[in-house]
Amino acid sequence: MSHVLILIGNALLTLFVVMNWGLIMGGMVRKIVGRVHGRYGPPIWQPYIDIIKTLGKRTSVIHGVMFFLGPVFRLAGGIGTLMFIPVLFHSSVFANFSFSGDLLLVMYFIFFGQLGMALGAGESGHPYSAMAVGRGLAQMTAFEVPFALSVISLAIQYKTLSVTGIVAAQQGGLLHWTLFTNPVATITAIIAMLGMNMHSPFDIVLAPQEIPIGPPTEFQSSFLGLLQTNRAIFTGAKLVLFMNLYLGGSSIGNGGFAGYAMAIITMMAKTFGLYMISVFVGVAYPRFRTEQSIRFFLGVPTVLGILAILIFWIW
Amino acid sequence: MVNPIYIFVIALGGAFLIGPADRLGKQASVWLTTLILALMTWIAGSWFFAISGGAESQQIFTAGLRPPVSINLFMGYKEALILFLSNAAGLLGVFALRKRFNELPAYAMMLYVAMLAGVNGIVMTRDLFNLFVFIEINSIATYALIALEPSRKALSAGFKYMIAGGIASILFLLGTVYIYRLSGTLNIDQLSGMNIALLGKAGWLAIFMLLMSILIELKPFPANGWALDVYQSAHGGVLALISSANAGAMFYALYKLMPVIGDGFLNLIAVVGLVTFFFSNLLGTRQFNFKRLLGYSSVGQIGLMMGVYALMTRLGYDEGLILIITGAIFINHFLAKAGLFWLSETIEGENLSDWSAIRERPEKLFGFGALLIALAGFPPFPTFWAKWNLVLRLMDSGSYVALVAILLGSLFEIFMLLRWFGLALKIDTAKQAEDNHGLEIPARLFMLALVVVGLRASCYFIHGNFVIDTIALPSCVPVMAPLVVGAFLYLVDWLPMKMKAGLTIVLTGIYFYFVLPAIQPLPMLFAAIFALGGMLITFASMNREINSRGFYPLLIMMITSLINLTISESTLEFFTAWEFMTLSSYLLLIRGKNAGEHALRYVMFSMGAAFLIMSGFAVMYSTTGVTDFYSLLLGRYGFSWGFVLVGLGMLIKMGGIGFHVWLPGAYAEAEDDISTFFSAILSKAAVYGLMLVALIYTINYHGGFDFRNVLGWLGVLTAVFGALMAVFQEDIKRLLAYSSMSQLGYIVLALAMADHLGWVTALYITVLHVMFKGMLFLAVAGIVQATGTHLMYRMGGLIKKMPLSFISVLIAIIAVSGVPPLAGFGAKWMLYTSLIQKGWYLQAGVAFFSSAIAFLYLFRLIHSMFLGQLKYENREVKEASPWLIAPQFVLLMAIMAVSTFPSLLLKPLSAMLPESIPGTIVWQGGTMLSSLGYWNGTLVMWVTMGVFGLVLLWLILWLRNVKKVGQFNIVYSAEKPMLPETTHYAYNFFPFYQKALGGLVKPRATSFWNGVTEWTASTAGVIRQLYTGNAQTYAMQIFLYIIVLYLVFGVGL
Repeated sequence: MSHVLILIGNALLTLFVVMNWGLIMGGMVRKIVGRVHGRYGPPIWQPYIDIIKTLGKRTSVIHGVMFFLGPVFRLAGGIGTLMFIPVLFHSSVFANFSFSGDLLLVMYFIFFGQLGMALGAGESGHPYSAMAVGRGLAQMTAFEVPFALSVISLAIQYKTLSVTGIVAAQQGGLLHWTLFTNPVATITAIIAMLGMNMHSPFDIVLAPQEIPIGPPTEFQSSFLGLLQTNRAIFTGAKLVLFMNLYLGGSSIGNGGFAGYAMAIITMMAKTFGLYMISVFVGVAYPRFRTEQSIRFFLGVPTVLGILAILIFWIW
Repeated sequence: MVNPIYIFVIALGGAFLIGPADRLGKQASVWLTTLILALMTWIAGSWFFAISGGAESQQIFTAGLRPPVSINLFMGYKEALILFLSNAAGLLGVFALRKRFNELPAYAMMLYVAMLAGVNGIVMTRDLFNLFVFIEINSIATYALIALEPSRKALSAGFKYMIAGGIASILFLLGTVYIYRLSGTLNIDQLSGMNIALLGKAGWLAIFMLLMSILIELKPFPANGWALDVYQSAHGGVLALISSANAGAMFYALYKLMPVIGDGFLNLIAVVGLVTFFFSNLLGTRQFNFKRLLGYSSVGQIGLMMGVYALMTRLGYDEGLILIITGAIFINHFLAKAGLFWLSETIEGENLSDWSAIRERPEKLFGFGALLIALAGFPPFPTFWAKWNLVLRLMDSGSYVALVAILLGSLFEIFMLLRWFGLALKIDTAKQAEDNHGLEIPARLFMLALVVVGLRASCYFIHGNFVIDTIALPSCVPVMAPLVVGAFLYLVDWLPMKMKAGLTIVLTGIYFYFVLPAIQPLPMLFAAIFALGGMLITFASMNREINSRGFYPLLIMMITSLINLTISESTLEFFTAWEFMTLSSYLLLIRGKNAGEHALRYVMFSMGAAFLIMSGFAVMYSTTGVTDFYSLLLGRYGFSWGFVLVGLGMLIKMGGIGFHVWLPGAYAEAEDDISTFFSAILSKAAVYGLMLVALIYTINYHGGFDFRNVLGWLGVLTAVFGALMAVFQEDIKRLLAYSSMSQLGYIVLALAMADHLGWVTALYITVLHVMFKGMLFLAVAGIVQATGTHLMYRMGGLIKKMPLSFISVLIAIIAVSGVPPLAGFGAKWMLYTSLIQKGWYLQAGVAFFSSAIAFLYLFRLIHSMFLGQLKYENREVKEASPWLIAPQFVLLMAIMAVSTFPSLLLKPLSAMLPESIPGTIVWQGGTMLSSLGYWNGTLVMWVTMGVFGLVLLWLILWLRNVKKVGQFNIVYSAEKPMLPETTHYAYNFFPFYQKALGGLVKPRATSFWNGVTEWTASTAGVIRQLYTGNAQTYAMQIFLYIIVLYLVFGVGL
């Protein structure tokens, strides 16, 4: 029993760290994007304000059971994804349930929340929701291809699909990172990540002008609160995954408070750096139409992905 | 025993009495004719039964002198058989022609009797000149009978026949004259072995002319225009005898003369026969006049008999075997063709579609269908067994050209016959056929005789023992079980529908229990899928409101034939079960309202596949010399192309890429519960077949080019293109059909890896596919019933009306998509892991793409049907019938169990693989370990449930004031939406995907196969122009034909 309690405690701790970091990063991004647009932008803690406000709404409107469950699926998906990723290397506290499955589990669990959310949004009966889900899914099929190829390249390189195993193989200095040992796979995956993060040029799913905010159109009050919370957790989880796969992860070293503090700071720095790629590209590039982004991902990034495989295959 | 000479006495004497009897009244003369034929039948029959019972054959000497001075007759087993059949056909023909005889003058009956007397003479005589006389008697009577029909066409056809017959007679006489000059005798027995053809140019020419005469009578292509005109214009009752008794007698004459003709002409006869078979059937595909179509088929069958006889003799096969094969084809042709010609007189009009007049008459339809199916060569009819043996022997002897001609010709034949069946079933008509027992009872008797002969034949052929009466019937029972249970349910078809369904379930259960002990572990899995799945779907079929006549006999036939696949010990047993399955599934499919064209396409591809499978088995036989699976599995025989052929056949049957064009139509247009059966259960037959081949291949593979690479790519391309095509469908059943294709692609891919994890993956996906496709198709069946449409955009918002169906579909699509925590993820995990382990990286990438595309069509499916806006016309829709819901929830619970405890399924699957595939999966508690990673399905389930439960709990506790709003209460650009139709986003769901990738799924395969069909039809159309209908042209063609044959085969003399 105490074993289970410890696991739950650890999970809550991880969740706390990643959620807050995700929310703060979200605030920073909004600030940066505002500055680029020539505005002051909202305060960094604006995401907290948004969530508190939406959770405090007095009435909630629902369109049916699936609509009600949609945000639950979404948040459970986000948290679950995080739970299956070892956040800090060597740390049993931050490893959570990563022993229940390898990288393939994480890659597929990402869909859990998306699917549930799509169904919830669908029950609202709003055409924009369905339209946006369609766009999102279509774009997803495309960026998953380079990402999958990149992951396969890693599997050939490291002969494992265990995230912990991949991080372990990158220990021992900067030049052991996948970024340097397998740059082609890293570049491929980072391009795919641009699609996953849904910043411009791949933000047609949320398309604020034509189909106001896409799938969540009909969601309000606490439902929206859950979705906003999830956005922070989910983004955090994905960035941690990329950090683990390509940037050497973040190790607690010999443990202790200093080790943990150092690891969390490293994690923040690396994920922030990764996220900034999306943000920089996002503020600089115009939006693709759906078919354009599909063609884009199935073009150069896919070729790069195949190249990443060929390099390690033929070696 | 009565001396056979009395046949002639009775025939000729009787015929003279018909005139006087006619003076007493029509009834008297008709009864006299009946009596004459009854006596003739009795004499031939008594000889047949006596000789089969062990009596001696008999020589009959006439005029008190020995040959060659006088003529002798011979009555042996073959003679007695042919004459018994012919005279019986003649006797039944009197009943069939009774009405016509009443209208015609008395000499019609005299001619009829004379025609049959000619047949008896042709068969029995041992004298060359006497043979000529009987041929003339037969021919002259036949011309006259043809021309008696009161139409100009019939008159001209009789005349053309006379011209052709005249040419043949001249040649016969000239040949006979020369033979007599060279040998000094006309007695066939004395001529045998004299090798007259070798006696210089004159000898060769004499034999050539004799042979040509008989060949012309046998109507070889292309010198047979006259014969086709005859078939088109004469009375069905006369044609029944022309195509059966006359043709049989002439064929027997050829057989009898073979010792005289000599082996030097075997090539010529083989070429003439096979060319005739191939082209007749090819041209028949363009034929819409049913009598002419039957004519093409008759000409083709006789060609086949000639070709097979000559070819196999030339190849040096044992005469007993040759006679059994040609004999089976002959009896099949004889009975079926006579029956069909009789039936043809019950139909008004001359077009194939006019047969729709019998559509509402099940017993007529049954007889008609059975005869067509016999002609098409399905089991249990004799031709099926003959063709199997023929293909085995021809493959063994390397006669590939002949083999291809025979198989292609057979495909054309199946096309023309089953298209006819489809038109009869599917074209609307106001006409109703009247009862005409005189025509129908004979046809039905012959149909029964065919079944009996077929069943008898099955025993001999299955046990590879051609000695009659040594094999006990009971040993053939399992092979024939589909037929037996089908026949039983057909007999109780009058019961209420639910009782029949219950009976089907019980019988399936009993049969499964009965065969269970004999099954090996791997086949056991499939037997369980077939039996349990079949029972589940039979249960679901009880939602039908109509009585569904004929449905359950076919259903149980299909289920038992599927089970039989798994208990087959030899390739022939497997193939028999396979053909029963093809036949019953075709007949079930064609029951669908708009299924006509699709059923035809299905059966054509299925038969193409079946012929490939049969050829593959034949190759395996010729390389290994064995036909039983145990030897094939145990022995290390080395690589054989047989695997490739059988594998290709299985891929076609699965709807592999390039051969998938039959699949969407078949799945979409079948009745809804049958669609479920096709997708969830029937497709596993091909999976099973492929696994069997893969297993044998793996064992026998010793280096060299490895086909498994090709198979793997075919699998993954099938998966990705199936998924892509599913994305663009508006019809829900077509969407699911393409989804099935895609899933089967994964199975092929996994299987192609041929290692332990690949095998387990393939088996695991197979089992899951049964479950989730069963759920999806059954749910869709309920929805289609409720909404009355297949089109998804006409549905929408059904979640509130059909919540149980929604839950079923939801669980099913999560399982299909592979999203954890449901069982589908296990399939994906094992698939990618094994692909990467194997080094098939690019295939893994494509598989990943394919499974991502699956999200598109799965979301589209559930959204368009259940979410979005409810249509006004669907406001009164109710939840699907419990008969449909209950099986879905059984499957749902199975999926949940497997998802929570994957080892429950995976461990047994892993254990049922043979030792030749060493295990690589390691279990650590509930965690499955591979060399690359790990997965614990149970834990994933608990974590997901835990997180989901906590979030849900929090939300429920947190939310207080929840307000449920009605339809259309949405934030819609400051405007209230007007209609569900304009608000439900469902039509053309992925236009951007179409723009980006639509070019990949242009219907190239469909265009290709349409092109093949088009070209075949055009070729047939061009060749058909040979038949101008002009008697002079026909005569010219016969001359040219003879000259060409002379130049080809006579050069070098």
